[in-house]
Amino acid sequence: MSTIVFDKERVSELRKQKIQHPWRKRPRKFTFSVALAVLLPAAVAAGLLFGTDIPDPLVMILVYLPLQLVAAALAAIVSKGKHGIADSIIYVFAIGGSVFSLVILLSLIFTLFVNGLKAFSTQFLFQNNVYISPSTPLDYGGVGHAILGTLLIVGISMLVAIPIGVATAIYVTEVRGRAVPYVRFFVQAMSGVPSVVAGLFILTVLILTGALSTSALAGGLAYAILMLPTVARTAEEVLRLIPEDLRTGALALGSTRARTVMKVVLPAAKTGIVTAIVLGMARVIGETAPLLLVTGYSDSTVLNPVSSPISALPTYIFANVDQPYPNAVTRAWGAALVLIILVGILFVIARILGRGKVK
Amino acid sequence: MSTAEFDQSVETLEPSMSGRSPALPIQLTARDISVWFGKRKVLEGVNIDFPKNTVTALIGPSGCGKSTFIRTLNRLHELIPGAALAGEVLYEGKDIYSPDIDPTHIRLNIGMVFQKPNPFPSMSIRGNVLSGLKLSGMKRSNHDDIVEETLTAAGLWNEVKDRLGAHAGELSGGQAQRLVIARALAVQPHVLLMDEPCSALDPASTLKIEETIRELSKDITVIIVTHNMQQAVRVSDYTAFFLAAENEPGHVVEQGPTTDIFSNPRDQRTLDYVNGRFG
Repeated sequence: MSTIVFDKERVSELRKQKIQHPWRKRPRKFTFSVALAVLLPAAVAAGLLFGTDIPDPLVMILVYLPLQLVAAALAAIVSKGKHGIADSIIYVFAIGGSVFSLVILLSLIFTLFVNGLKAFSTQFLFQNNVYISPSTPLDYGGVGHAILGTLLIVGISMLVAIPIGVATAIYVTEVRGRAVPYVRFFVQAMSGVPSVVAGLFILTVLILTGALSTSALAGGLAYAILMLPTVARTAEEVLRLIPEDLRTGALALGSTRARTVMKVVLPAAKTGIVTAIVLGMARVIGETAPLLLVTGYSDSTVLNPVSSPISALPTYIFANVDQPYPNAVTRAWGAALVLIILVGILFVIARILGRGKVK
Repeated sequence: MSTAEFDQSVETLEPSMSGRSPALPIQLTARDISVWFGKRKVLEGVNIDFPKNTVTALIGPSGCGKSTFIRTLNRLHELIPGAALAGEVLYEGKDIYSPDIDPTHIRLNIGMVFQKPNPFPSMSIRGNVLSGLKLSGMKRSNHDDIVEETLTAAGLWNEVKDRLGAHAGELSGGQAQRLVIARALAVQPHVLLMDEPCSALDPASTLKIEETIRELSKDITVIIVTHNMQQAVRVSDYTAFFLAAENEPGHVVEQGPTTDIFSNPRDQRTLDYVNGRFG
């Protein structure tokens, strides 16, 4: 063994070393071929987009994407040889896919803001739709009643669907009873139920039989049918990720199964359960069809969730968007914007609630 | 190895163990324990007496059923799907598998520390120590004293006394393992099962845990599975050597006072194993 001694001279020499990233250096032919592979297809696509009448999406999908794939493959052969082809193709698809979804999402949000902001004001958030006709100027009326309606209906559906959904997940992952395969099958099948069918179910079983009137409660129950499978399946996936060690550890301390689930497994899965709830909420909050069937419509602010027709944001949008008056259509855009913002706010609240705090 | 030969070796060896310590009462007894997973028999005819307030080491190569065996002693074995068992485990003279026994009661009295530290991530250090009380519904007063006592016994108190409210996930592997030992002690078990408690730890943490085990054995019975021969010599009073021939269930080849097993084994295979010639 030898010891290494740094004298002052050596140290000052070493201090002069500059930060480098040797793995970032590329041979020139690599830089060149990649630049060509990016620029050429882009130039061709741009030429076709601006120079011809071929519809834009067709250019992108039928010309640009294949051209980009071929160019990337050629660039890969030039710089890395044949084994680079698969790499470069995967790159093109991955980058293309993420750009594609980002563009769609951003253009959607952009359109919403451009059209919705025209209707936006404090009064739009807090007033209701009483005495407002489709042609009334945008200075009057608002969606306050519909925001409240949406919160009521979604709140009711959460009260129903979350306990049942989490309990279902606990049955599947913790109780592990004999019916697990059947329960999982039905939950899976339930997630395929179209929203209009959920509405029809509540309509025929509860409203037409006279058990319930058109109300927030009926809407909440229809939403719950849609929310349940999302909550149950997501919660199940989350509980599955909890290490078996924790369960055995709790049982080894003389814990019962119930206490193990309530005090160890669920707290450990807290953030995941919150995600399940958020996803369930996001699943239903914009659903329109069931509400059209079971909640009715109201222009005024309704606080009675049991026996009075009520409006929610989706039904408000639906009622306004096909009116032959530009003000009504603008109101619909405004309501859609409010809905998106509401979802964002609920997401943030859920995240804050789900943040882990130790005892 | 034939079953007849194995029976013989157990019979001839067993008296030596009980003969050595006539004064110590037996706290836990495994009688003719055989274990199956599905149709596969993994452990056959294990007979071991664990005298009160002693440390017994279970040694043997991987896959010979030591961990499986230790989990039969506090009824954790039955949680594995497909698990089956024959024989009896007597705790203070009563069969822990008899139908009128509540398994949670057994697990409260016979605690366990696992190979991988498993502190509860949703709880603080203090919360973890006290979690056994909460989970088992056990009532003990003076929680502050319990926390200090058990963490001191586990050799962790000085490192964490200023941050008892911190997240248990902040601890290093060795600290987390000592935390779960403290957690196991807080419910005052009479027996502590340890399944390779030091296999993931550095030498310093290992040493601390070994000191803890020696200290604990004044008051409770410790049964420890280990792959570390020196550890078995350092911490245990008795040793049982497990072995499984290829495609055969595991069984105990030899058991007795640790000094006998390591310095004067009767079976050639024990001699080879403790000298590191296989396994």
